[in-house]
Order: sequence, then C-alpha cells, then structure tokens
Amino acid sequence: MSERKDFVASFDSDSRKTAVRVAFVTRRKSPHVKVHDDDYVMTFPEALFRGAVAVEILALLLVLLSLFWNAPLEKLADPLETPNPAKAPWYFLGLQELLHYFPPVVAGVLIPTLVLIALIVIPYFKINVQAEGLWTRNRSARLRILALTVALFAVFLIAFNVYAVLIPTLLMAGFMFFAATNRAASGRFHRWLASKPLSFWIMSWFLIQAAVLTLIGTFFRGPGWSLVMPWSGDI
Amino acid sequence: MADTLETQLPRGRGGRVWQSIFRSGLGDTNLRRALAIQQNLFLHLASVKVRKRSLSFRVTWFLGTLSLGTFAILVVTGVPLMLYYHPSVPQAYSDMNDLRFVVSAGLFLRNLHRWSAHSMVLLVFAHMFKVFYRGAYRPPREFNWVIGVVLLLLTLFLSYTGYLLPWDQLAFWAITVGSNLISAMPIVGARIRFLILGGNGVNANALLRFYVLHCVILPLAAVAFVAIHFWRIRKDGGLYHGGSERHE
Amino acid sequence: MKISGKMASFFNFLLGDSARAFGALSVALVALLAVVPAADFLRDWRGYQKRYLRLVRGRSDATSLTRRFQPGLQQIWMPELGVVDRCPTCHSALREASLGDVKDQPFRPHPPIPHSVTGFGCVMCHRGQGAATTVEEAHRSTKSWEDPILPARYLESSCGQCHMERLTGTPLLNQGRQTLARYGCVRCHVIKSPDGVAMTGTDDPPSLAHIGAKTTREWIAAWLKNPQAYASSATMPNFQLPDDDIRDLSAFLIAQSTPYLASREAAPKVPTDDRALKNGASLFGESFCSSCHAIQNAAGMLVGGNLGPELTRIGSKAKPEWLADWLRDPRVYDPDTQMPHYRLDAQQRGLLMAFLGNKTDPDFLGNRHFDPPTSVQIDHGRALVNERGCAACHEINGVKKADNFAPELTLVGSRPLAKILFAPGVAHTLPDYIAAKIRQPRSFSTSLKMPQYTLAPEQVEALVTALLAQTERAQKMPTALRIPPRRASDYHAAGQAGRLMEDLRCFSCHTINGRGGDMAPDLTWEGTAVTRPWLVNFLKNPNTLRPALIRRMPKFNLTDAEADTLADYIMTVYQTPAFDRDSIDSSRFTRADAEHGKELFYGKYACQSCHIVDPDKDKGYIGPTLTQTGARLNAAWVFHWLKNAESLRPGTLEPVWKSSDEDARALSAFLVAQKIAPQTEPAKK
Repeated sequence: MSERKDFVASFDSDSRKTAVRVAFVTRRKSPHVKVHDDDYVMTFPEALFRGAVAVEILALLLVLLSLFWNAPLEKLADPLETPNPAKAPWYFLGLQELLHYFPPVVAGVLIPTLVLIALIVIPYFKINVQAEGLWTRNRSARLRILALTVALFAVFLIAFNVYAVLIPTLLMAGFMFFAATNRAASGRFHRWLASKPLSFWIMSWFLIQAAVLTLIGTFFRGPGWSLVMPWSGDI
Repeated sequence: MADTLETQLPRGRGGRVWQSIFRSGLGDTNLRRALAIQQNLFLHLASVKVRKRSLSFRVTWFLGTLSLGTFAILVVTGVPLMLYYHPSVPQAYSDMNDLRFVVSAGLFLRNLHRWSAHSMVLLVFAHMFKVFYRGAYRPPREFNWVIGVVLLLLTLFLSYTGYLLPWDQLAFWAITVGSNLISAMPIVGARIRFLILGGNGVNANALLRFYVLHCVILPLAAVAFVAIHFWRIRKDGGLYHGGSERHE
Repeated sequence: MKISGKMASFFNFLLGDSARAFGALSVALVALLAVVPAADFLRDWRGYQKRYLRLVRGRSDATSLTRRFQPGLQQIWMPELGVVDRCPTCHSALREASLGDVKDQPFRPHPPIPHSVTGFGCVMCHRGQGAATTVEEAHRSTKSWEDPILPARYLESSCGQCHMERLTGTPLLNQGRQTLARYGCVRCHVIKSPDGVAMTGTDDPPSLAHIGAKTTREWIAAWLKNPQAYASSATMPNFQLPDDDIRDLSAFLIAQSTPYLASREAAPKVPTDDRALKNGASLFGESFCSSCHAIQNAAGMLVGGNLGPELTRIGSKAKPEWLADWLRDPRVYDPDTQMPHYRLDAQQRGLLMAFLGNKTDPDFLGNRHFDPPTSVQIDHGRALVNERGCAACHEINGVKKADNFAPELTLVGSRPLAKILFAPGVAHTLPDYIAAKIRQPRSFSTSLKMPQYTLAPEQVEALVTALLAQTERAQKMPTALRIPPRRASDYHAAGQAGRLMEDLRCFSCHTINGRGGDMAPDLTWEGTAVTRPWLVNFLKNPNTLRPALIRRMPKFNLTDAEADTLADYIMTVYQTPAFDRDSIDSSRFTRADAEHGKELFYGKYACQSCHIVDPDKDKGYIGPTLTQTGARLNAAWVFHWLKNAESLRPGTLEPVWKSSDEDARALSAFLVAQKIAPQTEPAKK
C-alpha cells in the first residue's frame, strides 16, 4: 500500500441519512455505482418475524427428529475396554483422520493452530479484501506459481501417502487452471470461476478438504482406522 | 403488510397492562415500531431498520439466526436435563438410563438437546463459510468476524464438554481421543491436558470439570459473545448487503 | 380451478406474511410438543399394565388381584448391589401364585425360590438391563447394554455368583465346576473364586519324569495322536498334532526321561497258559481293581470305576518290568499316586501281569517304528512341549510349568461381546460363544493352542454354566452375601495307623474329617457305628455290603497286625461326640421289641424297598444289606441313624425319618437281631 492514495475513505455515522458505505475508487477504476439506494424496512416486525419463522421451522424439524430418532447411548464408560476404533466427536474427525497420516504434533497441534490463526486474520489481509478475479492480472506469473505450489504440495502428499488430501487438492487446482484458460466464448460457469479472487480459492480448498476428511473419518473408518464401507461398519 | 399485521394482533394491546409491559405500544407507526426494538433489553442490540435486500433468504440463509435458535433450544432443554443429572461416576450414566426409561419426556429432552447440539455446530460452521463467501468479513466488519471465530470455538467447546456428560463408552473414548491430541503439544501439552481433565486421564474429575464448563462457564461466555456479535452488526453498519457483484 | 383458488387463499390466510406464518407455525410447534407427553403416555409398560388388568378381570380372585396391583413404574432398588430393577413394572404377577396357569409373559408368576424376589431383585439371577422399561432394552443385547437375559438352561450359573459351595439345587453348576477341575481346564486357565482363591485341578495327571521306564516311544506317539483311541474315557484331550510333531515330542519325552529307583527284586514269573489268564481275571475281580479301573467288556461297554486309568489296552502300554514294580508298590514309581499299596505276593502279581499283559490292541499301535531321534528332532520336541504347555499338567524333567499359559477366565462370564471374535455360524451371545469354544476350540482359529476335548453335550452345558458364574458382579458382591466353599482339609491320621492309611490310600475313596474322595462312605464316625470284630474281619476280607455297586472295598491282603492296628485306631478315634456308643444296651432288647420292629420295618417304614434282611424275600439293592447288622453295627448307632441319619453322615441317601424313640428302639431291636454270619465268598455282581 505504498502507492499514493487518490481517494479518501470516510465513515458517515449519521444513520438517519445513510448507512455506512465505503467506496474505493482507484485510478484504474471509474466510479460506478451499481446499486443506487437501499430500501429499508423496520426490523420490527419484518426482520424479527422472519427470523422467528426460520427458527420455528428449524425447531419443528428438530422436534420431529427427536421424536423418532433416539440419541445414541452406549455402555457405561470402561477405561479398560477400548472400542475399535475410538472416535472423537464428528467435528474433530477431520483432525483424527489427519492424525492417521501425520505425527500428532503436526496433525493435532500445528494444523489446528494454523487454521485458527488463519481464520482470525482473514479480514486483516489485503488478499482477502480484494474482490478481483485471480487471473485478471499477472496471469502467466501466477500460473507458474500455482503450478509450482501444487506440484510441490503433491509430491509432499504422495510421500506421506495422503491421498485423501491430494485428490481434492488436485481437483481444486484443476478448477483453478480451468478458470485461468482464456476463452473467447466462455460459458457462465467459466466466467463465474474466472471472477473469483484468490481468497475464494483458498477457502474453497479448505472447505472441501475439511468436508472430505470429516466424511472419511466419520463414515469410512473401521477397526484399526482401516478403510471400510459405511454400511459394513456395524457388525 | 403492516396493515395485515395490525388486524391480526390482539385487540387488548391498547390496555393498561399491555402498555405497562410494552411501553412503546406496537406497530401503529414507524416510531413505535422503532421503539419496540430500541426499548427492549434484548432487541435493542439490533438496529431499528434493516435493508430490505439483506432479509432475502438468499443473502444469509438465516444461518446466524438459526444458530441463535439452536442455542436457545439448547438452553431450554439443557436446564431441565440438569435437574436430573449428577456429575459423578457412575451415577451420571444411571441418570441417562433414568432419563430414557423413567423421566417423563426425558428421552425427548435428551434427543432434542443432542440433535440441536449437532445442528448448532453444523450451522455455526455453515454460517462462517456463508459469511466468508459473501465477503461480509471485509472492513468495517473485521472485528465481528473475529468474534464469530471465538463463537465458533465456544460452540465447539460447548459441544465437546457436553459430549462427555453421558459417561458412556462413546463419550469416554471420544474425549480420551480428543484430549490425547492436546498432549501432543510440545512441552506444555501434558500440563494443559492435566489442567483440562483434572488428572492424567478422563476420570470423575474430568466429568465434574466438563460439567461446570458445559453448564456454567461456556454458556455464559457464549451469551456474552453472542450479545457483542449482534451489537457489532448494528455498529458495523447492519447486515452486509450482499456483495457488489449481485444485481437486484 | 376453484378448489386451487380456495387452497391458495387458505395458505395465504395462514402464511401470507411473516407474522401470520409466525402465528401458524407457533400453533404447529405447540401442537407437536403436545405429542411428547402423549408419546410418554403410550409407552410399552402402560400397555402391559392395561393387559394385566384385563387378564385379571375374569378370574375368581379378581378383586384381591386388582387390589394388590400397583399401577405406574415399579422398581426394586438395591443401592449396595448397584441394582435398579424395573422388571415388576410389566411383570406384574411375579408374586401372584394364583396365576400359576398363566403361561404368557410378562404375566407369569415367579416359581418359588429360596430367595425373596424383593431381596435380590431380578437381574442378579436373570441378567438383562433392570433399569430399562422397554422389551428390547431390558431383555436383549443392545448398544447400551450387552448382557441380555440369561437363557433359562444356564440359570444355575447365577447361583454360583454367591455360592461357592455345592448346592443341592444346582446340579449343572456343580458338575461344571467339577468338570473344570477334573479335566484340567484350571491347569492352563486361571479361574479364581471371588475370594481370590484359584480353582485347582483334581485330574491328577501323571508325571512324565520316568516315562521311558513305563512305556515305549511308539505308545507315546499313538497316544498323542489320539488319546481316546487308547481309552475312550481318557482325560487327556486331543492336541491334533501333525505326525512330525508327534515324532519329535515322543523323542523329547523319552530323551528327558530318567530311570526311577526300580526294585532289585526279580520280576515274578509270568505264566502264559489259559488257566493263568483265567485265574488272573478272578484275582483282578476279587481284588476289586474295577472299583477304580474300567475295562471294556466283550460288548464294548466300560465296566469299572474312573478313579484310575482304563486298562482295556494296558498290555500295549506298560512294560512288564514296570508293571511288576507297580503291582508290588506303586509309590516306588509315583510317590503321589492314588493307587493303594496292595499286599500281593509274587504269584498273585504274576497272575495279574498275565491278565493285564494280555490286554493288548495291535491296531492301536499300528506299525509305528521310530529310528533313533536326531538332536534336531529332540530340540523341536522341547519347543513343542513349551508351545503346547504340556508342563501345565505333566511333570517333565527340565521343563518349567508356565504361569498364565492360557487366558485367565475369572471374569469370562462378563466378557464384553465387543472383545469376542465370533467364529462363523456361532450366535452372537456369550453362552453360545463359550459353548462353541469348548466344543471345537480350533474352529475359531487353527492357530489356537487349546486342544480338542471329547465331552458329552451335558458336560459342555455344565461347563458353560460354571464359566458364566465367573462374572464381575460376583467379584464385587458384598462379602456378607458370599457363601464360601468348603475347603479341602489336609487331615492326616496319626501314628502307625496313619501311615498305614496313607499306604493303603484310604483317602482316595473315603472321606475322614473333611479330607478324601466321595466314592466310599464317610468314615469320620465309623468307630461309633461298627463293632470291632466285624471291622477286623471286613478289613481283612471285605465282603459285599452294597450288592448294587460295582465299586467295592478292595482286598488289600492285610496282615492280622495291620488289621488290628487300623481297627484299634478307628474304634478309638472316629467316635461321634453326639452320643455314647454304649448308651443303648442291646442285650436288653426283648423279643417283643424285635417283633414290633419287624412290623415297622416291613410296614410303616417299608425299609425293604432299599435294604435286604431276608435274602430270599427282600429285593432292596439300594442301601447296604442288613443281614448282618447285629454283627456289624452298634445298637446306639442304629437307633440314632433311624432318628436322623443326615446328622451322622451328611449327604447319605437314607431319609431323615425323625422316627419316635419307641419306633427307633423297636427297629434297632429288630435289626440288631440280624446276625447271619458273613458269607466267605461275596456274591459277584
């Protein structure tokens, strides 16, 4: 951000006149307002009742679920009898799955800490605030960086036999390369992908990764953390 | 729409009793509607007006509201469950059986509490991703994002501490596996684990600690942070109005 | 068009705007929540209680049954046992004996038992989940409770959780525990009672320290191949060994065998003619060897006792010089043997050796022949001995008995199903698993070491019952509830008579002061019971007291001095403190007394059903023959026996008559009058 600013960002806190709006107008962009004005409605009753209706629908579903599906309860805890496999709550099974591949310091400490820090600092990094498509500038340089990163990461993953991470990563990289292609008559999907900034790609990679690992850990792991089919798990 | 609402609300609201409770009265004028929000201890955290666009389902999927809803269900079901629960070994497990077999609606309360808890974790995660993809974390809402991350952690801890309370095999080993991860931390890992469990393994002390965390400390913390979270929505300019790339 | 329009306006009325939707959904939510208490009201147990009341309504005692019926959840709570049994919630008729004709569960009344139902609850005996109020959770194996209702045929196992002693009401449990000890299960598996005492074996496996002196390598091999082929009653299980292993094992055992201190006496001359064989057979019979040893008769039936090994094929096994030494004094070869020291002269031994040496079976040995073993084979044999745990039962030179050779079974009755790997085809229940494991251990895995036993189905049931009693609950039972077993005493008679009794191995069959076998009568009060002249005579020449029994007192060929010593000791020491043996003077019985006694004998008490007084008329073979009662028994003993035999000899078959003093006196007079001289040659059965 060393370059000279040619705009002034300011807050107008007078909410009677307008809600806060910050505009960035750079030299490369022309000021263009896409949405002119916002319609406001009163929170009471509009927003309040809508929210209440949403919560009620959810409550109805949960009550129905609770009437017909009992919460699991197993035997009295017995420290001498280790179930095989012993599984953490489902939201930690992604981590437990990683534990299968990496030493505990990496999977149990390093990765969660990094993820947490990354989540916290998201809004403070420029990369996350930019809304510009990843491939709109420096395309060839970025392509090289991406190819190199993916290749190195893939080698690392293959070395550790972590195919559960490798395959989603390659998939994601495939979409990124697809988005990078220059096509005159591109479809809607391609245009949509091409407009996505780097932060989108990183977060999507993380989301898919977490979902895949959690699903594998929850449904596809049996005795000795071996791969099983979900329906054959219950003997 | 306001007119239809007028006709549906009970007539008695002009009476003295009603007015003694809801000073502002209801909904005749925008002023009164504004006051209904502003003069309510809980609702005043929210702004008086919202952008019409941000009310659209497509914008938020109501994920934040629904997370709050599950939290409310959990509080409502959790308190009666506390009446039947002793955080001691092995009484805790017997209490589960009593809830299942003897207590009126005990089975239902436990079911609802558990499924709501799982739903809440899921909804909070979904909320986070939705906020990210909408770009709603961008300035000036950075700090509210951080509060959100804290709330995500609180949700996970709430769920995790509650997981142990039935004291069955599922609970015991899930917590054992989870807490073993902590001890992988270099140098301080074992100490932190000792601190959390009140011992070197998952035992009666751990149960008591998790109980206090689950029923007192973490819910209070969650309420505080939820309040800040909602208040910051107003302070940061209302609900994010859904990305500049969208045309209405 | 019109209908859909109406529908549309209806939905619009309900959900037209968010406030309407809020109202409608609130109503729906409240309605749904109202289902929750309704579902509570529809629980299974309420249905059963309604059915019970309907069932009771038509009965003659409906009023009292209905009055005693308690609605709502019923539970038996025993905090000290950690038991909450809600079974009576549905099983409403547990204590209604008048509903005995009802066969439908859950309304069957409980059959009478020695315990109060409310004092012990239900799950202590029946298992299952007492806290549950649904059929599934209470009775079956579920995720939250693995231990289902115990099948009725194994119910005796639950008695064994508290009762360590032999109960008359639990034959299967008793048999199971006896089998565990008798078949050497407890030599490999540690099985502890709740008091921490491990069960010990009663199978008396032979020492193999001098095996080479006793038998040949070929016989060892044939035996290892299939012990039951040698003797169908053999205790040793089949280890299902391949031929090479058998070759090496036999090589090792012979190599490790050391000579025993053989007698320097020349072996007796063994006659081989047919007459000698016949005489040998008679001597075998007269000595009552078959009290302990069985031999297969021509019809293939085993005749004889099972205290000692079966002798059908002994000629193929025992080396003649060993047999000669053994018959002279068994303890030279095995100091701990149960076999008495018969006083046989050289000629008698010769006859017995002729008879036994002829008991061969060439098919059993086959045409086995082994070349001298190589050291590799012997080393492999040693490895096999260690691997198969031979030393757990047998003493083998240079091999230590392994501790904890097999898994401990102290808690096998509570083994979690999750820890069990079931063989295909085995039902997923604990009793089925244990039974399958006993029946065919190797069906679970061919690498398992447990050998194949030959057990009858009821023996397997008995073993399963005994093992199911080994629960965690039994270990945690309050001490006050535990009934300890009767521990074996190590009583030894004193002095010369004591040494003589050890020499004759009296305790192999008789129990005295809590020590000894149960084959023959308890002799603890024998001195009170019998007369000295009869005793001396009996010791020297035991005649038949119980014609129905094959197992009888053997003839030891005692000298006069030995018989006197024993008789003196028995008459002096084995006296009951309950009464004085001279308290009734038989000389004062009158003829009228005896006549009255005879009437009672044949009339009121019908003693002839079991006893014989008149050999021509009476057919009672169950109890001892009473023709010589006057010579054999003391009058005071007979009198008190008739009043309460159980107090004199616990476990006797004699009923507790509790007869009046007059009756007992008259019967005593009648019986004491029976003094037919003992037959010199007892009738053979």
